[in-house]
Amino acid sequence: MFTEPRSTTPVVGLHGRLFAASMLAFVGLFVVGLAALVIADVAYVVTDVGPANLGDFAAVLFSAEIRAALWLSIWTSTVTVIIGLIFAVPMGYALSRYRFPGRAVVDSIVDLPIILPPLVVGLSLLVFFQTDAGRWIEAAGLKFVFQTKGIILCQLLVSASFGIRAVKLTFDGIDPRIEQVAMTLGCTHPGAFFRVALPMARRGIIVGGILIWTRALGIFGPLMVFVGAVRMRTEVLPTTIYLEQSIGRIEVALAVAILMLLLAAAALVTIRMVGLGER
Amino acid sequence: MIRIEQLNFAVGQFALSDVELHVRPGEYFVLLGPTGSGKTLLLECICGLNRIDSGRIFIDDIDVTRLEPRNRRLGYVPQDYALFPHKTVRGNIGFGLRLRELSKNNWVAGGRAEGDAPATPGHRFALPRPPNTIHHDKSQRIDELMEMVGVTHLADRTPQRLSGGEQQRVALARALAVEPRVLLLDEPVSALDEQTREELCRGLKRLQQNTHATVVHVCHNFAEMLSVADRVGIIDRGRIIQVGAPSEIINRPVNTQVARFTQAGNLIPAGAGPGGDRLRLVCPGGIELPAEKISVPSCLGKTIAAVTAMVRPEHIRLAVDAPKDVPPGTTILSGTISSVTDFGPTVKLGVVCGELELFVSLGKREYNERSVGVRDHVHLAIASEDVHVMMS
Repeated sequence: MFTEPRSTTPVVGLHGRLFAASMLAFVGLFVVGLAALVIADVAYVVTDVGPANLGDFAAVLFSAEIRAALWLSIWTSTVTVIIGLIFAVPMGYALSRYRFPGRAVVDSIVDLPIILPPLVVGLSLLVFFQTDAGRWIEAAGLKFVFQTKGIILCQLLVSASFGIRAVKLTFDGIDPRIEQVAMTLGCTHPGAFFRVALPMARRGIIVGGILIWTRALGIFGPLMVFVGAVRMRTEVLPTTIYLEQSIGRIEVALAVAILMLLLAAAALVTIRMVGLGER
Repeated sequence: MIRIEQLNFAVGQFALSDVELHVRPGEYFVLLGPTGSGKTLLLECICGLNRIDSGRIFIDDIDVTRLEPRNRRLGYVPQDYALFPHKTVRGNIGFGLRLRELSKNNWVAGGRAEGDAPATPGHRFALPRPPNTIHHDKSQRIDELMEMVGVTHLADRTPQRLSGGEQQRVALARALAVEPRVLLLDEPVSALDEQTREELCRGLKRLQQNTHATVVHVCHNFAEMLSVADRVGIIDRGRIIQVGAPSEIINRPVNTQVARFTQAGNLIPAGAGPGGDRLRLVCPGGIELPAEKISVPSCLGKTIAAVTAMVRPEHIRLAVDAPKDVPPGTTILSGTISSVTDFGPTVKLGVVCGELELFVSLGKREYNERSVGVRDHVHLAIASEDVHVMMS
């Protein structure tokens, strides 16, 4: 009969305990280091603002500019996720299932934005829209340079690879045999994809979507080059941090940073819960 | 029912070559071969999961070579069962039924309309049911299937919460749900413990006998084959080497490969030459064995040739005292017991006769009656009709 799997530990002596302790020490060091950064940020904001100025601080933090930036960040990242997944699902499936000449090269190209400095993406986009093809696209009514649409384009190019990779890994983990059985039971190949592979990949797709979202939320470099930092127009949260610190309001910049941190943390916890099936 | 003509299919370094196979309607056919012999690949070709390089596949005399898997109307149970993990037992079994409801036309492959009565035994897996209830509803059909394979109590479980045997039965019910013309089973019980394996094999055989359905069952286990097969095909390195009833494969293997696979036990290199109305075999140490001429390829019997003689352990008779009346065509060898291995119901004895070591298999009771042990002197009687000769 089926029994629930449980984690098991072998009998270990002193060496084993020391080994485990040293491994865990690295985990602790890294986490403490990151936590120290966050604590320092919070402490700076709290001491710098002081109880007397709390009202003014809140007014700045919830000003129209920052609210607009927050809203722009959220909706552009969300649109990026939708477009990103429209690409990630078929691409992840194709790269996982089909063998074609030059597949290794294509696979590497898909990963390029993960390795490339995001700034290069912005610079490349700017250059591209100076070419004939770019100008033609803009002339056709699709304007990206210094536009909100440009934010989404930057976010998509920088973050889609994370989603594609996550979805591909999920399809890699699904035995093609299961789809084949569905085909013997009356499914067409697309039918087997929609009725079997896609529902089975649901978790991986959600994880991919969250990865795209968090990455899109955080990009800054390419936006500065491609869409600029115009308040209330192309200002997203990372832009706000840059603008606030450039005019000397470090405490506001840090407060926005902490807000972004909370958003990202919520997304990462969701990934863990969805991806690993933890309740 | 299934006819395969000149099938060729290569994948990497491996190839199925010139496969010819005929599975008759209503028979339980076992494709037996060692790991890596190409049996799963051949089954996938029949299912349409591999596009073959050349040759033709017929099911019910309809050429299905170019038909998609969904239109071949086969029930396929893969080795790992491949149950849909996102569906319950009920959802798994009902999967094909739902698709049939959605697109009935897809199931009329070969011009045979839905709801036609089976023309011949073995035409398809249909559950026995009273007349005029052909169009009963889906959930009732799932209930029937679950009851048939004994998984009713597991209806709402997901596959992850089933044991191996339970998964196998669900996969079987899922395949049967679409009333396939042939049921294709890829190593259906090999992942299970011995007791469950025997139990499920009996269940499969009973199911096939009750429904008169055609089954192709792939396995690498000789005992498993014996427990279910009406006929068996031996496959090795991508070729079908022999097809026949189990007794034929066991007693008249075409070559030493098949003989080894059927656990022949005693394979003796020998020189063959004419010897009156029989064939005379000279084994190592000058030991002579007679063989029926009928049991050797026709090219033999005239000249001396190098052959392999097979004598199955269960065909050798063992006696403590020298037999007095020796029938014509029987050879008596004397030797010493070198080993005794107890297999429970049977006991296998190794007997050294000069340069030969022969294995003799005795029933437990028979062995106890003889009361012999290692180093005891015994006599072995081998009849000419039990000596099978193969070209080396």
